[in-house]
Amino acid sequence: MFVEYTWLVPLVPMLCFVIIGFFGKKMPHGGGPLAIFGAMFAFLISALISYEFFTSAAYSSPGYVTEQITWFSIGSFDINIGYYVDSLACLMMLFASFISTLIFIYSIGYMHNEGVKRRRYFAEVSLFLTGMLGLAVSSNFLEMFVFWEAMGLCSYLLIGFWSFTHPNGDDASDNAASAAKKAFLVTRLGDVCLMGGMFVLMYEFGSLDYTAVFDTAAMASVDPNMLMLGSLLIFGGVIGKSAQFPLLDWLPDAMAGPTTVSALIHAATMVKAGVYLVARCFPLFAQNPEVMLFVGVIGGITAFFAATMALNNMNIKKVLAYSTLSQLGYMFLALGAGGYMMALGLQSGDSALIAAGAVGYTAGCLHMANHAFFKALLFLGSGSVIHATGTEDMREMGGLHSKMKITSITMLIGSLSIAGFPLFSGFWSKEIVLEVAMHAGDYGAEGYLFLVLWILAIITAFMTAFYMFRMWFMTFKGKPGHGAEHCHGESPKSMTIPLIILSVFAAALGCIILFGFDDYVTIGIHAGQFQVGSGHGHGFMGWLEDIFLSAYTYLTVALVLIAIGVAYVMYSKMSINPGKFNKDGNSLLYKALSNRWWFPRLYDQIGWKMGYGVAKGVEFVDTQVIDGTVNALSSAVAGSGDSMSKVQTGNVRDYASVVVIGIVVLFAVMLLLFYFMGGA
Amino acid sequence: MFFDLPFEIPYLLTLLLVLPLVGAVATLAMGGERQKYAKYVAGAFSGITMVLSIMLLFVPDLAVYNESYPWIETAGIRMSYILTVDGLSILMVFLTGILVFLSTVFSAREHDRPHYFFALILAMEVGLMGVYMAADYFLFYVMWEVTLIPMYFMISWFGGPRRHYAAIKFFIYTHVASLVMLIGIFAIVFGAAGGGIADFSFEAVLAGSAAFSSTFQTLVFGLLFFGFAVKMPIVPFHTWLPDAHTEAPTAGSVLLAGVMLKMGSYGIIRVCLELLPEGAQAWQTTMVFIGILAMIYGAYACIAQKDLKKMVAFSSISHMGMVMISMACLSDIGIQFAVFQMFAHGLISAVLFMVAGATGHNIGTREIPLLGGLAGKVPVLAAFMMFGFLASLGLPGLVGFWAEFGIIFSFYEYTISIDMIWLIAFCLISLLLTAGYYLWAMQRSMFGRLTEKIDLSHIHDLSRPEVIALGATCALIALFGLWPDLALGFIKEYASSLALSLGVV
Repeated sequence: MFVEYTWLVPLVPMLCFVIIGFFGKKMPHGGGPLAIFGAMFAFLISALISYEFFTSAAYSSPGYVTEQITWFSIGSFDINIGYYVDSLACLMMLFASFISTLIFIYSIGYMHNEGVKRRRYFAEVSLFLTGMLGLAVSSNFLEMFVFWEAMGLCSYLLIGFWSFTHPNGDDASDNAASAAKKAFLVTRLGDVCLMGGMFVLMYEFGSLDYTAVFDTAAMASVDPNMLMLGSLLIFGGVIGKSAQFPLLDWLPDAMAGPTTVSALIHAATMVKAGVYLVARCFPLFAQNPEVMLFVGVIGGITAFFAATMALNNMNIKKVLAYSTLSQLGYMFLALGAGGYMMALGLQSGDSALIAAGAVGYTAGCLHMANHAFFKALLFLGSGSVIHATGTEDMREMGGLHSKMKITSITMLIGSLSIAGFPLFSGFWSKEIVLEVAMHAGDYGAEGYLFLVLWILAIITAFMTAFYMFRMWFMTFKGKPGHGAEHCHGESPKSMTIPLIILSVFAAALGCIILFGFDDYVTIGIHAGQFQVGSGHGHGFMGWLEDIFLSAYTYLTVALVLIAIGVAYVMYSKMSINPGKFNKDGNSLLYKALSNRWWFPRLYDQIGWKMGYGVAKGVEFVDTQVIDGTVNALSSAVAGSGDSMSKVQTGNVRDYASVVVIGIVVLFAVMLLLFYFMGGA
Repeated sequence: MFFDLPFEIPYLLTLLLVLPLVGAVATLAMGGERQKYAKYVAGAFSGITMVLSIMLLFVPDLAVYNESYPWIETAGIRMSYILTVDGLSILMVFLTGILVFLSTVFSAREHDRPHYFFALILAMEVGLMGVYMAADYFLFYVMWEVTLIPMYFMISWFGGPRRHYAAIKFFIYTHVASLVMLIGIFAIVFGAAGGGIADFSFEAVLAGSAAFSSTFQTLVFGLLFFGFAVKMPIVPFHTWLPDAHTEAPTAGSVLLAGVMLKMGSYGIIRVCLELLPEGAQAWQTTMVFIGILAMIYGAYACIAQKDLKKMVAFSSISHMGMVMISMACLSDIGIQFAVFQMFAHGLISAVLFMVAGATGHNIGTREIPLLGGLAGKVPVLAAFMMFGFLASLGLPGLVGFWAEFGIIFSFYEYTISIDMIWLIAFCLISLLLTAGYYLWAMQRSMFGRLTEKIDLSHIHDLSRPEVIALGATCALIALFGLWPDLALGFIKEYASSLALSLGVV
């Protein structure tokens, strides 16, 4: 009844984009209310679709609804367009549209000084939402890719929102322009990999439809090497989009855009697309334990590295950016570890392993949903602080708690949640992720790697708690800085109300794991086919119990509490000077962290040498060697000795001689030809 | 097509050829006092031609419009005036009609001897239409040469500071190439005649082509291929192109890149692939190599360019390299998407050259290092530039992406068949480089700090005619991007029958 109207979900924000783009100038708030309406409408339909999908018995088998029409065809390959709804798609639509609605409402207050530029802003964010919703409901890889790239475009445009006439002056404009370019190019590197992956799949499966590719029989009949190549290439796209190691460098730079855009990119759209794609391709990736191992390793490494970079950063938004990277790493760790177990289970036919794999899937998706809420909350909260103080540097903040109570408390909730404080949202998903990673360590020849990753992940949990509370204490407690003195109090209602709503979810959403989330968002084998929503039945409860029974949970919680305590004494009570540990910022480690382990410099060098360096060489060949030869030839033919001096004259006589010579040569060729033709 | 033209237009193809010719003469007559009305005359004639070329798309059966009249008949030679339109040429005719009209609109503010200027544009249209519709080798060659002359004068009369050098280089370079081609044409015509009456019509030559030996095919393929490929152009015979573009006025560049370069790839498909299948087999590897070279070389050259228009010119080389590898696959997908890419690139490069040209005369310079931060001053121009760049770098949802996707897929199939799958990496790298040079150019010219190197008091945003011309082209790019079947439908049948005759499917 509602599911048939799934195509409306991306279409309505798309229409808002078009309308605001053309007529936004005359609308109030540059079209903001229309954008909010579009997002809200998308949320409402998504909610209705999800309700119908979850309650109606008609959809429980085969666990998805898909409808598509042929768009065009490439040779004998039909390219379709349509929708594909299953529990994963429902989850994505729901949180993407809900959080976007709140962000758009918040934007009305946050962007009210931007004047005519708001039209561009609201048009682009609407397109951004279109991209995410379209991606969630697409029925095949190519359609998904269209929306995937639309998001890449929007992130480029929005990160570069202030890439000219920046309110903070020319340097900021330069910075924004360069950050936007970097974001697009780095994700583009991933995207061309993804495109390569699609060619492999299209050739091997003869179609890019999800139903055709994820068919068990089809996957079994394809050359396993090509399957692995295709999977790895697709994961390459994910690495770019979700900013995983080693392509993680663009996301911190992307902070040059408005804070609301950061919230959108980190919470509701863009980087979540990568997680979605891995979850969507789970059946494909799980054909091969090595692929899933790779996913897990990349996730674990990113989680750890990104967390280290956040430890000493002074920019409130950048701390949050690194925390996103780190949390995304957790999601990929969960999916990778789960997928690894599932792949082994599929090979050996061990149903317990397959069920354990499904837990990893659920954990990854739950963490994605939780992260969406607390990260949106944290970014919007930081936006509220930046709006009030006019600075992003935490050293200039401090003591804001008394002036901005709502922002302060809601951000505290967000920080507790992301740190994994017991019973907050983040706690549930993070503990299950850790459990899955540890569990995966027991199986297979390379399983020990997951044990290493598990240890890294626990250290990461410690670091997360530390840097989040470092941020909170530096901002809201401690001595008021220079920016805090300018603070004119709490932000307007349009900004604080979304914060309050989000904080409720950030605190409590994780509890859905106790109420059957695992029955819906899970993956299993049903009637020989992979099916989202038919996993482990009620075996999941055992995993939940383990959270409370396992000693490691208490170890993690203890580490989190210690980290919060350390942050408190260092940045709120200030009884320990953090400078003591890093020679006041001169230790090698401190420099490594604040230079992001020198990744940006490395990339700049590579990018510059491989791009501009080679280009200079090509340019030399082009102007001197090739064109030089052409010009020299014309001069030489004319019998002029100093050829190079005359090359630029464009002397008709010179060229005319070329023609004469040319014709002579051509006649010779002609004679040769007739000789070969046998005197025709 | 979803809608059939309910009536027949007599002599439609001849009209497409004659209308611009009459228009050119009429415009030329608008000298002296009447100069300022020249654009309306030109607009009217190119407008009607455009409408006719659009109507052609809705014709249910194209064969009805074939026209054939004897022209020169001697004891040994028969040359005819034959016009046809088929799946290969219909999009090119449409593209010519559209772009000539839009470049006329775009140049509405031309004040320097407008009657000559617009007459040259229309004269060019005669040649272009002729090349795409001719079905007789002699007529084809004549029309091929006809396109050169207006272009030569366009550059040398209305061009930039080094216009004479560029114009002569353009003329000699492509003329030498077409002489080589002419030898090839004589070879196939006389070869097909086999001592009988040399009939220059496509049909007769095709009928006689069965007798070609494989050595003959290989040799003649080389000659014809060289003649056509210089026009495309291919590396290393490309240096005429950036110079011609840099000096040519905007309308000239639009037509040069949008339609004239396609004559080369059109010729390769129409003549080389249709007639010489064995030659194509023999040259396949070379073609692939040339295509990859052009693609990567062009993309790298773009990064190094300082002149916006020269960068766009090199990007044409890179994109035509894609057409080359696509044709070289010799498969139905390859040919279909080669034609589609020709069409897509025609539209996109029109936007790019209009934008580059507008940057030149509205801002005062095209030198990227002198620009910067101008998006706030010329928002409309910046928006169109962004759109054009995005379309050209292959943003999904716009026409260029589908063309590239199909091309790389056909190339993927080819690499699988020769067991060298890693070759696909070159295509992917070129996509990445393309994104790189466009975004970098965008960053340096429109974003970042506002430039202090040029006088900002005289810059102005796009004029109304410029917005109309750009807007219409962009709308087409979006339309064919959302609905690629609209164009692909025309090519499909032709491509599969050609692939069948090539023996590789």
